[in-house]
Amino acid sequence: MGFVAALIFIGIYCLLTMRNLIKLFIGVEVIAKGVSLALIASGFERNNIYIAQSLTITFIVVEVSVVATALAIIINIYRHTKSLDIRKLTRLKG
Amino acid sequence: MVFTFILVPLVMASLMPLIGKISKKFLPDILTNITLLFLLIYSITIGRQIISSGTGIRQLVWLGQQLNITLALDGFSLLMLFLISLVSFAVGLYCINYMEHYGSKAVFYALFLLMIAGMNGLVLATDLFSIYVFLEVAAVASYALVAFGLGYDELEASFKYLMLSAVATAFILVSIALIFGFTDSLRLHDVALAFQLLNAKYLVGLCVTLFIFGFGLKAAIVPFHAWLPDAHPSAPAPISAMLSGVLIKISGIYAITRIFLNVFGLNPAISTVLMYLGVISILVGAIIAFSQNDIKRMLAYSSISQIGYIILGIGLGTPLGILGGLFHLFNHGIFKSLLFLNSGAVEQATGTRALDKMGGLAKRMPITAATSVVGSLSIAGVPPLNGFWSKLIIIIALVQAKAYGFAIVAVLASGITLWYYLIIQRQAFFGKLNETWNNVKEAPFWMSASMIILALICIAIGILFPIIIKSWLVPATNVLSAGVYYTINLFRF
Amino acid sequence: MIQTLLLTALVIFSILAVLLRDLLKAAISLAIASIFLAIIFFRMNATYAGVFEISVVAGLITVLFVSTIALTKSDGDVRESKVVSILFPIFFVLFIIIDIFVMKTLLNRLMVVRYPAPTGNFGQVLWGQRTLDLVGQIGVIFAGVFAVIALFRKRDKKDE
Repeated sequence: MGFVAALIFIGIYCLLTMRNLIKLFIGVEVIAKGVSLALIASGFERNNIYIAQSLTITFIVVEVSVVATALAIIINIYRHTKSLDIRKLTRLKG
Repeated sequence: MVFTFILVPLVMASLMPLIGKISKKFLPDILTNITLLFLLIYSITIGRQIISSGTGIRQLVWLGQQLNITLALDGFSLLMLFLISLVSFAVGLYCINYMEHYGSKAVFYALFLLMIAGMNGLVLATDLFSIYVFLEVAAVASYALVAFGLGYDELEASFKYLMLSAVATAFILVSIALIFGFTDSLRLHDVALAFQLLNAKYLVGLCVTLFIFGFGLKAAIVPFHAWLPDAHPSAPAPISAMLSGVLIKISGIYAITRIFLNVFGLNPAISTVLMYLGVISILVGAIIAFSQNDIKRMLAYSSISQIGYIILGIGLGTPLGILGGLFHLFNHGIFKSLLFLNSGAVEQATGTRALDKMGGLAKRMPITAATSVVGSLSIAGVPPLNGFWSKLIIIIALVQAKAYGFAIVAVLASGITLWYYLIIQRQAFFGKLNETWNNVKEAPFWMSASMIILALICIAIGILFPIIIKSWLVPATNVLSAGVYYTINLFRF
Repeated sequence: MIQTLLLTALVIFSILAVLLRDLLKAAISLAIASIFLAIIFFRMNATYAGVFEISVVAGLITVLFVSTIALTKSDGDVRESKVVSILFPIFFVLFIIIDIFVMKTLLNRLMVVRYPAPTGNFGQVLWGQRTLDLVGQIGVIFAGVFAVIALFRKRDKKDE
């Protein structure tokens, strides 16, 4: 589980510091790797690898549609601003 | 059959693009609204029968073969299903007129139905991982719906929403993986049983923390609320109504409540954390809402504040507190969607969301103004409208539990709420008519109809609240206050 | 031992994916990290998950990334601040130290219940026990497809 935590840390560090939209999404992907490792590892520990695998496969399918949606949004943002810089996304202040 | 709630919107959604090929607007409008009406009627009539005949929790049989789909329909999930179908029906009517100028109505309806299918699935699932999957169905559909206008603000808001949601689901999944690693099963029944046997304080603590991060982000409780004031105002108005009225409640509060109360069991520590989060949300939401000029942003911050009331009531954990929290959840779903629909009508008519540019619109848009007054007074808790009773129940529960500090904050914040909703009314609808809006017309037929329906429901619930409490809320409260033993005894499949 | 090496390689390539300036190289290191993850899955007897990891994550998602990068053609225009990469090792080492300590104490504190190992094969488990997830998967796939359709539709009607 230590490695899972490390992967998730890298991903969150990326989300907090990077400025490129695609880079931010790579951060999300790194987190996703940590999560699927966590699922498989806990299945392996419990000697219950089949269920862990089906969970992981479902997770990967979900991940693909999230990635597709996100990249579609990124391309649309690029069409508006001609840039991928997060600092230009300041119209809305949360 | 319980599975209908998931299957019908899913199948309709997948057919929608084909239907859109045949007829661009007419058929998608009709079919979507028929589907939504069907779900509403189904949840009122069949749902109660299923519960009273005691077959709410069942495995599915298909073509004579046992399929391993276990769905649970109990008082709590039925209340949620009813809320989803009620709000989505009103929103569906509203979309007939409102979505005209966005184009691709069929795809819009497909995503809308998928979001409903996802939420229905989440409410009925009896397995932690299924809860996650359906959460993601609703979430992916909602990212696209927020960005549906393809304007710059929409895209930016949707991107932020997606990023934060991705982090939220990562936390949820890590917690699920941990639970899976230690209990070897993800069915709510097995997990609840294992946690009772284990008495593993550290594991529960860790999982609760991760779930609060994850579902708290989804529900926009205060330290995790950054995405909501962007995403909800930027979306098309009917979608704002869906997101604020239903989605944050289902994917955030329903999940938190179900997991914490029915699976982990509410202990004093969790209860305290939830109550403090609730109070902070109430205050921060109300104070920031106060200083907004954009009508939809004000409504979005007010959602955060009202979510705080719900969390406060449920976190208290006494039956009366849970009852109040659930009642407020239900009421908030109705009046907040009403208010967002009002704001959408105003935005469509005038093209602006800035409160200081409006003024005197009541003369031009009497229906919108009247329904918006009903909504505002309900949310501010003015008797005898529905918001009054639910806030009153929460405050009585707090006083009964001797949590006087929380009760005082709740009362004060309700005063602030009244104040800023009066500001909306005064600036937007009453006072002198701004000359720019001399040619403004009332909202089209279906939009007015859906706003009137929601306003009437607000008034009806306010007057008939004893009946509503007895027939809808008490069964839901019983489920939750039975705690862990409910899951262990009844989810045994 | 080999497992630890593989895990370390996974972490290193993930770090590279985050820190590399060039987006294309970053996407490729992400794919390599996926391949390492898949090898780890194979070694844990999770063959199907490994196959999915290679074909879908290392394959499909990388293709999506690369095509997005190609469509946006903006390799040089976003300057990441240098501080980010300099500070990273410091934070990371700190985190690893905390990580090791926390995990040791945590895993000792947590107890485990034993359930009998499941019988049957992978297909039976997926179809027999996780059927609802499959319904959910269908929903997610539809949602993703419609989302992409909605986001890339022609915006001719907006101007009316």
